[in-house]
Amino acid sequence: MDKKRKKNFATFMFPSLLVLVIVLAIPMVYSLVVSFFDTSLKHRGLGNFTGLQNYIAALTDKYFMSSAATTFVFTIGVVMLEFLLGLGIALLLNTNVRGKNIYFSIIIIPMMITPVAVGLTWRLLLHSELGIVNYVLDLIGLTGKAWLADSKLALGTVMFIDVWQNVSYMVLVLQAGLVSLPMEPYEAAKVDGSSALQSFRYLTIPMMAPAFMTVLLMRAISALKTYDLIYVLTKGGPGISTEVISYHIYQEAFRDLELGSASAMSYLLVLVIIPIAVCFVKISKQKN
Amino acid sequence: MRRKRMPEIIFIHIGLILTSLFFLFPLLWILRTSLISKAEAYQIPPNWGAALTLENYATVLRENNFLKCFFNSFGVSVIVTVVAVLVGALGAYWMARFAVKKDFVKICVLLIQMIPPVVLVIPFSMIISRLKLNDSWTALVATYLSFTLPYVLWMLVGFFEGIPKDLDEAATIDGCTNMQTYTKIVLPLVMPGIMATAVYSFIVSWNEFMYALNLTGLRARTIPVAIANMDTSQGVAIAELSASVIIGIIPIIVLSLFIKKYLVTGMTAGSVK
Repeated sequence: MDKKRKKNFATFMFPSLLVLVIVLAIPMVYSLVVSFFDTSLKHRGLGNFTGLQNYIAALTDKYFMSSAATTFVFTIGVVMLEFLLGLGIALLLNTNVRGKNIYFSIIIIPMMITPVAVGLTWRLLLHSELGIVNYVLDLIGLTGKAWLADSKLALGTVMFIDVWQNVSYMVLVLQAGLVSLPMEPYEAAKVDGSSALQSFRYLTIPMMAPAFMTVLLMRAISALKTYDLIYVLTKGGPGISTEVISYHIYQEAFRDLELGSASAMSYLLVLVIIPIAVCFVKISKQKN
Repeated sequence: MRRKRMPEIIFIHIGLILTSLFFLFPLLWILRTSLISKAEAYQIPPNWGAALTLENYATVLRENNFLKCFFNSFGVSVIVTVVAVLVGALGAYWMARFAVKKDFVKICVLLIQMIPPVVLVIPFSMIISRLKLNDSWTALVATYLSFTLPYVLWMLVGFFEGIPKDLDEAATIDGCTNMQTYTKIVLPLVMPGIMATAVYSFIVSWNEFMYALNLTGLRARTIPVAIANMDTSQGVAIAELSASVIIGIIPIIVLSLFIKKYLVTGMTAGSVK
Protein backbone atom coordinates (compact mmCIF):
# COMPACT_ATOMS: atom_id res chain seq x y z
CA MET A 1 0.00 0.00 0.00
CA ASP A 2 2.71 2.42 1.02
CA LYS A 3 4.69 1.59 -2.08
CA LYS A 4 1.68 2.20 -4.26
CA ARG A 5 1.10 5.54 -2.59
CA LYS A 6 4.67 6.58 -3.30
CA LYS A 7 4.31 5.53 -6.90
CA ASN A 8 1.13 7.57 -7.28
CA PHE A 9 2.85 10.58 -5.80
CA ALA A 10 5.83 10.18 -8.11
CA THR A 11 3.77 9.87 -11.28
CA PHE A 12 1.12 12.49 -10.59
CA MET A 13 2.28 15.07 -8.06
CA PHE A 14 6.04 15.08 -8.48
CA PRO A 15 6.13 17.17 -11.69
CA SER A 16 4.04 19.95 -10.09
CA LEU A 17 6.09 19.85 -6.93
CA LEU A 18 9.32 20.06 -8.90
CA VAL A 19 8.13 23.12 -10.82
CA LEU A 20 6.88 24.79 -7.63
CA VAL A 21 10.20 24.19 -5.88
CA ILE A 22 12.16 25.66 -8.79
CA VAL A 23 10.01 28.71 -9.49
CA LEU A 24 8.74 29.44 -5.97
CA ALA A 25 10.54 27.76 -3.09
CA ILE A 26 14.11 28.40 -4.27
CA PRO A 27 13.50 32.09 -5.12
CA MET A 28 11.69 32.63 -1.80
CA VAL A 29 14.57 31.12 0.19
CA TYR A 30 17.11 33.01 -1.89
CA SER A 31 15.31 36.26 -1.19
CA LEU A 32 15.07 35.47 2.53
CA VAL A 33 18.83 34.92 2.64
CA VAL A 34 19.49 38.12 0.71
CA SER A 35 17.35 40.07 3.18
CA PHE A 36 20.01 39.46 5.85
CA PHE A 37 22.86 40.81 3.67
CA ASP A 38 23.67 44.26 2.38
CA THR A 39 23.34 42.92 -1.17
CA SER A 40 23.33 45.66 -3.74
CA LEU A 41 23.62 45.87 -7.50
CA LYS A 42 26.29 48.50 -6.86
CA HIS A 43 28.79 45.85 -5.81
CA ARG A 44 29.32 42.21 -6.74
CA GLY A 45 28.11 39.17 -4.86
CA LEU A 46 25.98 38.88 -1.76
CA GLY A 47 27.90 41.51 0.22
CA ASN A 48 28.22 41.40 4.01
CA PHE A 49 25.98 39.65 6.49
CA THR A 50 24.15 42.36 8.40
CA GLY A 51 21.63 40.35 10.43
CA LEU A 52 18.38 42.17 11.04
CA GLN A 53 19.85 45.52 9.98
CA ASN A 54 17.74 45.72 6.80
CA TYR A 55 14.55 45.03 8.73
CA ILE A 56 15.32 47.61 11.38
CA ALA A 57 16.27 50.15 8.74
CA ALA A 58 13.02 49.55 6.87
CA LEU A 59 10.87 49.94 9.97
CA THR A 60 12.58 53.23 10.84
CA ASP A 61 12.59 54.53 7.25
CA LYS A 62 9.97 57.23 7.01
CA TYR A 63 9.42 56.72 3.26
CA PHE A 64 8.85 52.99 3.68
CA MET A 65 6.48 53.57 6.58
CA SER A 66 4.66 56.25 4.62
CA SER A 67 4.21 53.82 1.71
CA ALA A 68 2.85 51.29 4.21
CA ALA A 69 0.34 53.88 5.44
CA THR A 70 -0.67 54.75 1.86
CA THR A 71 -1.16 51.06 1.12
CA PHE A 72 -3.30 50.70 4.24
CA VAL A 73 -5.57 53.59 3.24
CA PHE A 74 -5.72 52.36 -0.35
CA THR A 75 -6.55 48.76 0.64
CA ILE A 76 -9.22 49.57 3.24
CA GLY A 77 -10.77 52.15 0.92
CA VAL A 78 -10.97 50.11 -2.28
CA VAL A 79 -12.03 46.90 -0.55
CA MET A 80 -14.92 48.58 1.28
CA LEU A 81 -16.07 50.52 -1.78
CA GLU A 82 -15.82 47.50 -4.04
CA PHE A 83 -17.69 45.40 -1.53
CA LEU A 84 -20.63 47.80 -1.14
CA LEU A 85 -20.88 48.55 -4.85
CA GLY A 86 -20.35 44.90 -5.76
CA LEU A 87 -23.04 43.74 -3.34
CA GLY A 88 -25.48 46.26 -4.80
CA ILE A 89 -24.81 45.10 -8.35
CA ALA A 90 -24.93 41.43 -7.32
CA LEU A 91 -28.35 41.99 -5.73
CA LEU A 92 -29.60 43.63 -8.93
CA LEU A 93 -28.27 40.69 -10.96
CA ASN A 94 -29.78 38.14 -8.58
CA THR A 95 -33.29 38.77 -9.91
CA ASN A 96 -35.06 37.10 -12.79
CA VAL A 97 -34.90 40.11 -15.13
CA ARG A 98 -34.26 39.60 -18.82
CA GLY A 99 -30.86 40.19 -20.38
CA LYS A 100 -29.03 39.23 -17.19
CA ASN A 101 -26.47 37.38 -19.26
CA ILE A 102 -25.61 40.45 -21.32
CA TYR A 103 -25.26 42.66 -18.24
CA PHE A 104 -23.09 40.01 -16.64
CA SER A 105 -20.81 39.76 -19.69
CA ILE A 106 -20.26 43.52 -19.66
CA ILE A 107 -19.68 43.75 -15.93
CA ILE A 108 -16.89 41.14 -15.91
CA ILE A 109 -14.84 42.83 -18.67
CA PRO A 110 -12.80 45.25 -16.50
CA MET A 111 -11.56 42.47 -14.24
CA MET A 112 -10.23 40.46 -17.18
CA ILE A 113 -8.15 43.10 -18.94
CA THR A 114 -4.61 44.03 -18.02
CA PRO A 115 -4.28 46.78 -15.37
CA VAL A 116 -1.83 48.53 -17.71
CA ALA A 117 -4.61 49.03 -20.26
CA VAL A 118 -7.04 50.11 -17.56
CA GLY A 119 -4.57 52.66 -16.24
CA LEU A 120 -3.84 54.16 -19.65
CA THR A 121 -7.52 54.25 -20.56
CA TRP A 122 -8.34 56.27 -17.48
CA ARG A 123 -5.30 58.49 -17.90
CA LEU A 124 -6.60 59.53 -21.29
CA LEU A 125 -10.13 60.01 -19.99
CA LEU A 126 -8.96 62.02 -16.99
CA HIS A 127 -6.37 64.12 -18.84
CA SER A 128 -6.88 67.65 -17.54
CA GLU A 129 -7.06 69.38 -20.95
CA LEU A 130 -7.63 66.61 -23.48
CA GLY A 131 -9.78 64.25 -21.43
CA ILE A 132 -13.49 63.69 -21.89
CA VAL A 133 -14.22 63.69 -18.14
CA ASN A 134 -13.25 67.30 -17.53
CA TYR A 135 -15.04 68.30 -20.74
CA VAL A 136 -18.29 66.71 -19.54
CA LEU A 137 -17.88 68.25 -16.09
CA ASP A 138 -17.39 71.61 -17.78
CA LEU A 139 -20.62 71.13 -19.78
CA ILE A 140 -22.64 70.57 -16.64
CA GLY A 141 -21.06 73.57 -14.96
CA LEU A 142 -18.46 71.92 -12.74
CA THR A 143 -14.75 72.66 -12.84
CA GLY A 144 -12.53 69.80 -13.92
CA LYS A 145 -9.53 68.98 -11.81
CA ALA A 146 -6.00 67.74 -12.45
CA TRP A 147 -7.15 64.37 -11.16
CA LEU A 148 -3.82 62.57 -11.17
CA ALA A 149 -1.46 65.52 -10.85
CA ASP A 150 -2.91 67.08 -7.71
CA SER A 151 -1.38 65.46 -4.63
CA LYS A 152 -4.65 65.90 -2.71
CA LEU A 153 -6.69 64.10 -5.36
CA ALA A 154 -4.31 61.52 -6.83
CA LEU A 155 -4.78 58.74 -4.27
CA GLY A 156 -8.56 59.06 -4.44
CA THR A 157 -8.43 58.99 -8.23
CA VAL A 158 -6.26 55.88 -8.26
CA MET A 159 -8.64 54.23 -5.82
CA PHE A 160 -11.60 55.09 -8.02
CA ILE A 161 -9.87 53.46 -11.00
CA ASP A 162 -9.06 50.38 -8.95
CA VAL A 163 -12.71 50.16 -7.95
CA TRP A 164 -13.71 50.41 -11.62
CA GLN A 165 -11.47 47.49 -12.45
CA ASN A 166 -12.00 45.19 -9.49
CA VAL A 167 -15.62 45.63 -8.48
CA SER A 168 -16.32 42.92 -11.09
CA TYR A 169 -14.60 40.39 -8.87
CA MET A 170 -16.91 41.20 -5.97
CA VAL A 171 -19.96 41.02 -8.23
CA LEU A 172 -18.90 37.63 -9.56
CA VAL A 173 -18.25 36.06 -6.17
CA LEU A 174 -21.15 37.64 -4.30
CA GLN A 175 -23.61 36.80 -7.04
CA ALA A 176 -22.48 33.17 -6.99
CA GLY A 177 -23.03 33.20 -3.22
CA LEU A 178 -26.50 34.72 -3.50
CA VAL A 179 -27.58 32.18 -6.13
CA SER A 180 -26.59 29.30 -3.85
CA LEU A 181 -28.74 30.53 -0.90
CA PRO A 182 -31.70 28.24 -0.10
CA MET A 183 -35.14 29.56 -1.12
CA GLU A 184 -37.23 28.19 1.78
CA PRO A 185 -36.36 30.74 4.48
CA TYR A 186 -37.32 33.54 2.10
CA GLU A 187 -40.65 31.95 1.27
CA ALA A 188 -41.37 31.39 4.97
CA ALA A 189 -40.47 35.01 5.73
CA LYS A 190 -42.77 36.21 2.97
CA VAL A 191 -45.66 34.18 4.36
CA ASP A 192 -44.98 35.78 7.73
CA GLY A 193 -45.31 39.17 6.04
CA SER A 194 -41.73 40.46 6.27
CA SER A 195 -40.54 43.06 3.78
CA ALA A 196 -37.71 42.61 1.28
CA LEU A 197 -35.54 44.82 3.45
CA GLN A 198 -36.21 42.68 6.51
CA SER A 199 -35.42 39.50 4.55
CA PHE A 200 -32.15 41.06 3.50
CA ARG A 201 -31.25 42.14 7.03
CA TYR A 202 -32.28 38.96 8.87
CA LEU A 203 -31.70 36.26 6.22
CA THR A 204 -29.27 37.33 3.49
CA ILE A 205 -26.71 39.05 5.69
CA PRO A 206 -26.36 36.26 8.30
CA MET A 207 -26.34 33.50 5.66
CA MET A 208 -23.81 35.34 3.52
CA ALA A 209 -21.58 36.48 6.40
CA PRO A 210 -18.84 33.84 5.88
CA ALA A 211 -18.80 34.52 2.13
CA PHE A 212 -18.59 38.27 2.87
CA MET A 213 -15.58 37.74 5.11
CA THR A 214 -13.69 35.51 2.69
CA VAL A 215 -14.24 37.79 -0.28
CA LEU A 216 -13.16 40.85 1.74
CA LEU A 217 -9.98 39.08 2.84
CA MET A 218 -9.19 37.78 -0.67
CA ARG A 219 -9.57 41.24 -2.17
CA ALA A 220 -7.57 42.82 0.65
CA ILE A 221 -4.67 40.49 -0.10
CA SER A 222 -4.73 41.32 -3.80
CA ALA A 223 -5.10 45.06 -3.09
CA LEU A 224 -1.95 44.89 -0.97
CA LYS A 225 -0.08 43.69 -4.07
CA THR A 226 -1.12 46.63 -6.30
CA TYR A 227 1.70 47.74 -8.56
CA ASP A 228 0.72 47.90 -12.24
CA LEU A 229 -1.97 50.57 -11.88
CA ILE A 230 0.34 52.83 -9.87
CA TYR A 231 3.15 52.40 -12.39
CA VAL A 232 0.95 53.47 -15.28
CA LEU A 233 -1.09 56.15 -13.54
CA THR A 234 1.21 58.12 -11.25
CA LYS A 235 4.55 56.36 -10.70
CA GLY A 236 3.87 56.92 -7.01
CA GLY A 237 3.51 60.68 -7.38
CA PRO A 238 2.83 63.53 -7.15
CA GLY A 239 5.53 63.50 -4.48
CA ILE A 240 4.98 60.19 -2.72
CA SER A 241 1.21 60.62 -2.39
CA THR A 242 0.33 57.40 -4.24
CA GLU A 243 3.46 55.37 -3.51
CA VAL A 244 2.09 52.02 -2.36
CA ILE A 245 4.31 49.44 -0.73
CA SER A 246 4.89 47.24 -3.81
CA TYR A 247 5.93 50.28 -5.80
CA HIS A 248 8.25 51.44 -3.03
CA ILE A 249 9.90 48.01 -2.78
CA TYR A 250 10.33 47.77 -6.54
CA GLN A 251 12.00 51.19 -6.60
CA GLU A 252 14.24 50.28 -3.68
CA ALA A 253 15.39 47.18 -5.58
CA PHE A 254 15.67 48.41 -9.14
CA ARG A 255 16.12 52.19 -8.98
CA ASP A 256 18.19 52.40 -5.79
CA LEU A 257 19.66 48.92 -6.50
CA GLU A 258 19.45 47.92 -2.81
CA LEU A 259 18.38 44.29 -3.22
CA GLY A 260 19.06 43.26 0.38
CA SER A 261 17.04 46.05 1.85
CA ALA A 262 14.24 45.56 -0.72
CA SER A 263 14.08 41.84 0.09
CA ALA A 264 13.70 42.64 3.79
CA MET A 265 10.89 45.07 2.95
CA SER A 266 9.19 42.46 0.81
CA TYR A 267 9.32 39.96 3.68
CA LEU A 268 7.74 42.57 5.94
CA LEU A 269 4.90 42.69 3.40
CA VAL A 270 4.63 38.90 3.63
CA LEU A 271 4.41 39.24 7.42
CA VAL A 272 1.40 41.53 6.98
CA ILE A 273 -0.29 39.07 4.62
CA ILE A 274 0.19 35.99 6.83
CA PRO A 275 -2.38 36.91 9.53
CA ILE A 276 -4.95 37.80 6.85
CA ALA A 277 -4.31 34.45 5.18
CA VAL A 278 -4.67 32.64 8.53
CA CYS A 279 -8.06 34.32 9.11
CA PHE A 280 -9.05 33.28 5.63
CA VAL A 281 -8.15 29.64 6.21
CA LYS A 282 -9.95 29.60 9.60
CA ILE A 283 -13.15 30.96 8.09
CA SER A 284 -13.05 28.50 5.18
CA LYS A 285 -12.58 25.62 7.62
CA GLN A 286 -15.49 26.72 9.80
CA LYS A 287 -17.75 26.72 6.79
CA ASN A 288 -17.06 23.12 5.84
CA MET B 1 -37.21 33.44 -7.56
CA ARG B 2 -39.74 35.94 -6.38
CA ARG B 3 -42.02 37.45 -8.98
CA LYS B 4 -41.37 41.16 -9.29
CA ARG B 5 -43.82 43.95 -9.89
CA MET B 6 -43.44 46.19 -12.91
CA PRO B 7 -41.92 49.31 -11.24
CA GLU B 8 -39.41 47.08 -9.50
CA ILE B 9 -38.32 45.50 -12.78
CA ILE B 10 -37.85 48.91 -14.38
CA PHE B 11 -35.81 50.06 -11.41
CA ILE B 12 -33.57 46.97 -11.68
CA HIS B 13 -33.04 47.48 -15.40
CA ILE B 14 -32.15 51.14 -14.95
CA GLY B 15 -29.65 50.15 -12.27
CA LEU B 16 -28.06 47.49 -14.45
CA ILE B 17 -27.96 49.69 -17.54
CA LEU B 18 -26.24 52.50 -15.63
CA THR B 19 -23.76 49.99 -14.19
CA SER B 20 -23.04 48.55 -17.63
CA LEU B 21 -22.50 52.03 -19.07
CA PHE B 22 -20.11 52.85 -16.24
CA PHE B 23 -18.01 49.83 -17.20
CA LEU B 24 -18.40 50.07 -20.94
CA PHE B 25 -18.09 53.80 -21.61
CA PRO B 26 -14.34 54.18 -20.89
CA LEU B 27 -13.55 51.29 -23.24
CA LEU B 28 -15.90 52.53 -25.96
CA TRP B 29 -14.31 55.97 -25.71
CA ILE B 30 -10.85 54.48 -26.19
CA LEU B 31 -12.18 52.45 -29.12
CA ARG B 32 -13.54 55.64 -30.70
CA THR B 33 -10.26 57.50 -30.09
CA SER B 34 -8.34 54.67 -31.72
CA LEU B 35 -10.49 54.89 -34.85
CA ILE B 36 -10.21 58.61 -35.66
CA SER B 37 -7.32 60.62 -37.04
CA LYS B 38 -4.49 61.80 -34.77
CA ALA B 39 -5.47 65.44 -35.04
CA GLU B 40 -9.10 64.82 -34.25
CA ALA B 41 -8.22 62.68 -31.25
CA TYR B 42 -6.86 65.83 -29.58
CA GLN B 43 -10.00 67.87 -30.16
CA ILE B 44 -11.97 69.00 -27.13
CA PRO B 45 -14.91 69.50 -27.55
CA PRO B 46 -14.91 66.25 -29.48
CA ASN B 47 -15.85 66.24 -33.15
CA TRP B 48 -18.73 63.80 -33.11
CA GLY B 49 -18.75 63.42 -36.86
CA ALA B 50 -15.07 62.48 -37.20
CA ALA B 51 -14.31 60.07 -40.05
CA LEU B 52 -13.22 56.57 -39.03
CA THR B 53 -9.80 55.29 -40.01
CA LEU B 54 -7.52 52.36 -39.24
CA GLU B 55 -4.40 54.45 -39.68
CA ASN B 56 -3.53 54.39 -35.94
CA TYR B 57 -3.54 50.62 -35.91
CA ALA B 58 -1.29 50.57 -38.96
CA THR B 59 1.11 53.02 -37.29
CA VAL B 60 1.22 51.08 -34.03
CA LEU B 61 1.81 47.76 -35.75
CA ARG B 62 4.47 49.21 -38.05
CA GLU B 63 6.43 51.06 -35.40
CA ASN B 64 7.41 50.16 -31.84
CA ASN B 65 7.96 46.50 -32.71
CA PHE B 66 4.37 45.99 -31.65
CA LEU B 67 3.85 42.92 -33.82
CA LYS B 68 6.86 41.30 -32.26
CA CYS B 69 5.59 42.05 -28.76
CA PHE B 70 2.24 40.58 -29.72
CA PHE B 71 4.03 37.46 -30.90
CA ASN B 72 6.07 37.32 -27.67
CA SER B 73 2.99 37.68 -25.49
CA PHE B 74 1.17 35.06 -27.50
CA GLY B 75 4.05 32.57 -27.59
CA VAL B 76 4.97 32.89 -23.91
CA SER B 77 1.33 32.66 -22.79
CA VAL B 78 0.75 29.54 -24.92
CA ILE B 79 3.88 27.76 -23.67
CA VAL B 80 3.19 28.66 -20.04
CA THR B 81 -0.38 27.45 -20.40
CA VAL B 82 0.57 24.15 -22.02
CA VAL B 83 3.19 23.38 -19.37
CA ALA B 84 0.98 24.50 -16.47
CA VAL B 85 -1.99 22.46 -17.69
CA LEU B 86 -0.01 19.30 -18.52
CA VAL B 87 1.82 19.32 -15.20
CA GLY B 88 -1.04 20.81 -13.18
CA ALA B 89 -3.69 18.36 -14.37
CA LEU B 90 -1.61 15.45 -13.11
CA GLY B 91 -1.05 17.19 -9.79
CA ALA B 92 -4.68 18.19 -9.43
CA TYR B 93 -5.76 14.61 -10.11
CA TRP B 94 -3.43 13.43 -7.37
CA MET B 95 -4.81 16.08 -4.98
CA ALA B 96 -8.41 15.10 -5.75
CA ARG B 97 -7.92 11.32 -5.55
CA PHE B 98 -4.80 10.22 -3.69
CA ALA B 99 -3.73 13.00 -1.32
CA VAL B 100 -3.89 11.84 2.29
CA LYS B 101 -4.12 15.27 3.89
CA LYS B 102 -6.20 16.76 1.10
CA ASP B 103 -7.38 19.88 2.93
CA PHE B 104 -3.86 20.71 4.00
CA VAL B 105 -2.53 20.36 0.44
CA LYS B 106 -5.34 22.52 -0.92
CA ILE B 107 -4.68 25.22 1.65
CA CYS B 108 -0.99 25.22 0.69
CA VAL B 109 -1.90 25.73 -2.97
CA LEU B 110 -4.21 28.56 -1.94
CA LEU B 111 -1.57 30.21 0.25
CA ILE B 112 1.10 30.28 -2.44
CA GLN B 113 -1.28 32.27 -4.60
CA MET B 114 -1.14 35.00 -2.00
CA ILE B 115 2.60 35.67 -2.35
CA PRO B 116 2.98 39.21 -3.76
CA PRO B 117 4.85 39.39 -7.08
CA VAL B 118 7.14 42.09 -5.70
CA VAL B 119 8.53 39.49 -3.26
CA LEU B 120 9.46 37.17 -6.12
CA VAL B 121 10.64 39.72 -8.65
CA ILE B 122 13.81 40.43 -6.65
CA PRO B 123 15.15 36.84 -6.52
CA PHE B 124 13.87 36.24 -10.08
CA SER B 125 15.88 39.14 -11.39
CA MET B 126 19.02 37.98 -9.57
CA ILE B 127 18.68 34.33 -10.61
CA ILE B 128 17.72 35.07 -14.22
CA SER B 129 20.66 37.41 -14.73
CA ARG B 130 23.04 34.91 -13.12
CA LEU B 131 21.79 32.26 -15.55
CA LYS B 132 22.20 34.81 -18.38
CA LEU B 133 18.55 34.32 -19.39
CA ASN B 134 17.64 38.00 -19.44
CA ASP B 135 15.28 39.09 -22.17
CA SER B 136 14.34 35.54 -23.16
CA TRP B 137 11.11 33.57 -23.43
CA THR B 138 12.60 31.02 -21.01
CA ALA B 139 12.80 33.66 -18.28
CA LEU B 140 9.16 34.62 -18.79
CA VAL B 141 7.89 31.05 -19.01
CA ALA B 142 9.71 30.05 -15.80
CA THR B 143 8.54 33.06 -13.80
CA TYR B 144 4.96 32.91 -15.13
CA LEU B 145 4.67 29.31 -13.95
CA SER B 146 5.01 30.66 -10.41
CA PHE B 147 1.48 32.05 -10.58
CA THR B 148 -0.18 29.98 -13.34
CA LEU B 149 0.61 26.54 -11.91
CA PRO B 150 -1.01 27.27 -8.49
CA TYR B 151 -4.06 28.72 -10.30
CA VAL B 152 -4.32 25.67 -12.55
CA LEU B 153 -3.94 23.23 -9.65
CA TRP B 154 -6.62 25.07 -7.72
CA MET B 155 -9.13 25.26 -10.55
CA LEU B 156 -8.63 21.68 -11.74
CA VAL B 157 -8.96 20.07 -8.30
CA GLY B 158 -12.48 21.44 -8.28
CA PHE B 159 -13.24 19.95 -11.68
CA PHE B 160 -11.74 16.54 -10.80
CA GLU B 161 -13.73 16.44 -7.56
CA GLY B 162 -16.85 16.85 -9.67
CA ILE B 163 -16.22 13.47 -11.34
CA PRO B 164 -17.60 10.57 -9.26
CA LYS B 165 -14.92 8.38 -7.71
CA ASP B 166 -16.91 5.22 -8.62
CA LEU B 167 -15.77 5.65 -12.21
CA ASP B 168 -12.12 5.34 -11.20
CA GLU B 169 -12.86 2.31 -9.07
CA ALA B 170 -14.78 0.59 -11.84
CA ALA B 171 -11.88 1.21 -14.22
CA THR B 172 -9.38 -0.18 -11.69
CA ILE B 173 -11.48 -3.33 -11.27
CA ASP B 174 -11.48 -3.71 -15.05
CA GLY B 175 -7.70 -3.76 -14.90
CA CYS B 176 -6.74 -0.19 -15.75
CA THR B 177 -3.60 1.19 -14.14
CA ASN B 178 -3.99 4.54 -12.41
CA MET B 179 -2.41 6.26 -15.38
CA GLN B 180 -4.80 4.55 -17.80
CA THR B 181 -7.77 5.50 -15.65
CA TYR B 182 -6.54 9.07 -15.67
CA THR B 183 -5.90 9.39 -19.41
CA LYS B 184 -8.75 7.24 -20.75
CA ILE B 185 -11.61 7.74 -18.28
CA VAL B 186 -11.22 10.90 -16.20
CA LEU B 187 -9.37 13.26 -18.52
CA PRO B 188 -11.98 13.15 -21.31
CA LEU B 189 -14.69 13.94 -18.76
CA VAL B 190 -12.95 17.04 -17.37
CA MET B 191 -11.99 18.37 -20.82
CA PRO B 192 -14.36 21.37 -20.60
CA GLY B 193 -12.84 22.27 -17.24
CA ILE B 194 -9.34 21.87 -18.64
CA MET B 195 -10.15 24.14 -21.57
CA ALA B 196 -11.56 26.81 -19.27
CA THR B 197 -8.53 26.57 -17.00
CA ALA B 198 -6.20 26.83 -19.99
CA VAL B 199 -7.96 29.94 -21.25
CA TYR B 200 -7.78 31.49 -17.81
CA SER B 201 -4.08 30.68 -17.53
CA PHE B 202 -3.53 32.26 -20.94
CA ILE B 203 -5.33 35.42 -19.83
CA VAL B 204 -3.36 35.90 -16.61
CA SER B 205 -0.08 35.29 -18.47
CA TRP B 206 -1.03 37.75 -21.20
CA ASN B 207 -1.87 40.40 -18.60
CA GLU B 208 1.25 40.01 -16.45
CA PHE B 209 3.30 43.18 -16.16
CA MET B 210 5.87 43.36 -13.38
CA TYR B 211 8.03 40.36 -14.31
CA ALA B 212 7.99 41.28 -17.99
CA LEU B 213 8.92 44.87 -17.16
CA ASN B 214 11.83 43.69 -15.08
CA LEU B 215 13.13 40.76 -17.11
CA THR B 216 12.72 41.82 -20.72
CA GLY B 217 14.39 44.30 -23.02
CA LEU B 218 13.74 44.79 -26.71
CA ARG B 219 13.75 41.11 -27.72
CA ALA B 220 11.20 39.44 -25.43
CA ARG B 221 9.07 42.47 -24.55
CA THR B 222 5.40 41.65 -24.03
CA ILE B 223 2.26 43.62 -24.91
CA PRO B 224 1.59 45.20 -21.48
CA VAL B 225 5.17 46.47 -21.30
CA ALA B 226 4.96 47.73 -24.89
CA ILE B 227 1.75 49.63 -24.14
CA ALA B 228 3.14 51.15 -20.96
CA ASN B 229 6.32 52.04 -22.82
CA MET B 230 4.53 53.79 -25.68
CA ASP B 231 3.12 56.19 -23.21
CA THR B 232 6.51 57.35 -22.00
CA SER B 233 8.31 57.27 -25.33
CA GLN B 234 5.89 59.45 -27.27
CA GLY B 235 4.35 61.87 -24.78
CA VAL B 236 0.61 61.72 -25.22
CA ALA B 237 0.09 60.21 -28.66
CA ILE B 238 -3.56 59.72 -27.79
CA ALA B 239 -4.77 57.98 -30.94
CA GLU B 240 -1.93 55.47 -31.23
CA LEU B 241 -1.97 54.79 -27.52
CA SER B 242 -5.69 54.02 -27.74
CA ALA B 243 -5.10 51.69 -30.66
CA SER B 244 -2.41 49.83 -28.73
CA VAL B 245 -4.69 49.49 -25.70
CA ILE B 246 -7.42 48.03 -27.91
CA ILE B 247 -4.99 45.58 -29.53
CA GLY B 248 -3.88 44.49 -26.06
CA ILE B 249 -7.35 43.86 -24.66
CA ILE B 250 -9.38 42.51 -27.61
CA PRO B 251 -8.02 38.93 -27.41
CA ILE B 252 -8.71 38.90 -23.67
CA ILE B 253 -12.28 40.17 -23.94
CA VAL B 254 -13.08 37.57 -26.60
CA LEU B 255 -11.50 34.74 -24.58
CA SER B 256 -13.12 35.75 -21.31
CA LEU B 257 -16.58 35.55 -22.86
CA PHE B 258 -15.88 31.89 -23.69
CA ILE B 259 -15.09 30.95 -20.11
CA LYS B 260 -17.60 33.22 -18.41
CA LYS B 261 -19.50 30.44 -16.70
CA TYR B 262 -16.35 28.79 -15.36
CA LEU B 263 -14.90 32.00 -13.96
CA VAL B 264 -16.55 31.65 -10.57
CA THR B 265 -14.71 28.40 -9.90
CA GLY B 266 -11.40 29.97 -10.72
CA MET B 267 -11.83 33.27 -8.96
CA THR B 268 -13.72 32.49 -5.82
CA ALA B 269 -11.03 30.20 -4.42
CA GLY B 270 -13.48 28.27 -2.31
CA SER B 271 -15.14 31.29 -0.75
CA VAL B 272 -18.58 30.19 -1.91
CA LYS B 273 -19.79 26.72 -1.29
